[in-house]
Amino acid sequence: MIQVKNLSTRYARNAPEVLHDVSFGLGEGEIGILLGPNGSGKSTLIQCLLGQMKRAEGEILIGGKPVMEMRTSDRARLLAYVPQTPSFAPSTVYDAVMLGRLPYFAFAPTKEDQDIVETVLVEMSLEHLATRNVLELSGGERQRVAIARALAQQSRILLFDEPTSNLDISAETTIAEMVKALAKKKGLTVLLSMHDINLALGIGDRFLFLKDGHLVSDGDAESVNEKTIESVFGIHAKRVYVEDKTLFIYGGNGDES
Amino acid sequence: MPWYYPRMPEELSRSVRQELAHRNSVKRIVIFVMLGVVAVLFFVSLMVGSSNMSLPESFMALFGQGEASSVRIVQQIRLPRALAALIAGAGLSVAGLVMQSTLKNPMASPSTLGVSNAAVFGANIAIIGFAGGFINTGGRIDNYDFGTNPFATSSMAFLFALVSTLIVLGLCRIRSFSSETVVLAGIALGTVWTALTTILQFYATDVGLSAAVIWTFGDLGRATFTTDWIMFGVVAASVIVFFFLQWRFNAVAADESVANSLGVKVNLLRFVSMLLASLITAVCVSYLGIIGFIGIICPHAMRRIVGNNHRFLIPASLVSGALLLLFSDIVSRLIGNGTALPVGAITSLLGGPFFLYLIFAKKGGKA
Repeated sequence: MIQVKNLSTRYARNAPEVLHDVSFGLGEGEIGILLGPNGSGKSTLIQCLLGQMKRAEGEILIGGKPVMEMRTSDRARLLAYVPQTPSFAPSTVYDAVMLGRLPYFAFAPTKEDQDIVETVLVEMSLEHLATRNVLELSGGERQRVAIARALAQQSRILLFDEPTSNLDISAETTIAEMVKALAKKKGLTVLLSMHDINLALGIGDRFLFLKDGHLVSDGDAESVNEKTIESVFGIHAKRVYVEDKTLFIYGGNGDES
Repeated sequence: MPWYYPRMPEELSRSVRQELAHRNSVKRIVIFVMLGVVAVLFFVSLMVGSSNMSLPESFMALFGQGEASSVRIVQQIRLPRALAALIAGAGLSVAGLVMQSTLKNPMASPSTLGVSNAAVFGANIAIIGFAGGFINTGGRIDNYDFGTNPFATSSMAFLFALVSTLIVLGLCRIRSFSSETVVLAGIALGTVWTALTTILQFYATDVGLSAAVIWTFGDLGRATFTTDWIMFGVVAASVIVFFFLQWRFNAVAADESVANSLGVKVNLLRFVSMLLASLITAVCVSYLGIIGFIGIICPHAMRRIVGNNHRFLIPASLVSGALLLLFSDIVSRLIGNGTALPVGAITSLLGGPFFLYLIFAKKGGKA
């Protein structure tokens, strides 16, 4: 579904590269997790996939088509994006989600658009908040509105840029589980950047570690190990098993072991 | 199709749609009430003036009945003036709205891009430079013909307003088209036009200086049917485009990065909106002089009343702009004691306190 080949990019002509020769692929229905410290290039990679980086070199194929050659409305029907901190203008939740239908209507939403928005509201358990002002909702509820807006685009690929980083533990877990359930139920391809490796292990199929713009590891849950975490984040990590779950605990520099 | 399940329960769906429809009807009613007030003010505007015509006389004169002088005053002087208030008020208001929405800056208005300052400079060149200033007239008032010719002055004002807009938009294309870039480039260029105007006025004769200063006062009395038609053409064409872009304005006002991912070409939208908003401003300012704050007061007031959906915000801003300028013009004629005060001064007098209100008002907004 997503094929990235030898992707390199920079923000200005003479600026240093932020991504170097990155290659990976994600199949239909797969959940890919982008992991790496701040500044490693996770958000930039997502912007490249969205076709927003003009200086991207290499090849990005979405459904077999080069993303940079697509019309913006075609791209919007293929890829939906949820930013780290979704911002909204004052509007009802209903209208905020309706924006996701923008790639489909020219002037005004149709009855079909209304039906789809209502379906998505139910999907994200937002139906009872439909007429509320989106700015009056909690952070977790707003994040659900942002996901509902992305779902309303009916695209097969969802890109999330650290969707749980500003949420409390409860909202963080709810959102992560919702994303996993949605992806599995609808067969969506999801690429999600995040910091919490333990949370990521619970939802992801593939784990891509970025460091200084280089893709240093790409594999399934088994590929996530102490050595990779230590080399990417520069901290000591220890794998433990709790009730059949793999968890990593961090701290120290590893000398005590 | 997996997208069509789970459906919202029919009863809940009906209640949500009814609730939204009810809110939208309230917004429509607000707009229609304002439209009614505009209609009343329009007729009041035709009745108010320095001649001692009675109300029935003015009304009859509007339809060509009564004394020839009354008919001429109402049809040739007051009618184009009232129409200019309608068109320019609506145009300046909607121009301010789209600037604020696409730049995501609540203080953006036609003056933010330096359009008004450029128009003043252009008019000053026509009045001071070509006619009575230091170039060729020797300060004789009878040589002011060209400079005081409204079309020569207006043409120069329009030309410079357009040039200023194109410079700002051109500069922004070289780098990025972020809202900060547009606003900062507009402010910077605006100060350059103001400085050039000051230098020009420094070398002007007393007569040239006073003619130039008087031109800058917003004055609806300069309007003719010809200028009204031109303003109407520009405003109407721009508003049609704005109506088609209403959901795109909503998307950009919500989140620029998300708008991009929704297929909105944000930079192109910003360019087109700025160009049309500046065009409206350039046309209105060049024919009527500076009329400040309409583009700030009306959109902000309407956001609080009809919310932030441009489907309602665009018509509400149009109607409230027309209402405010008509009202200000009537006030200017009533308190002017026989002479109309500059309407730009009245709108600015209302705008200053409103600015303070915006600064101290609570954040947030109506859905």
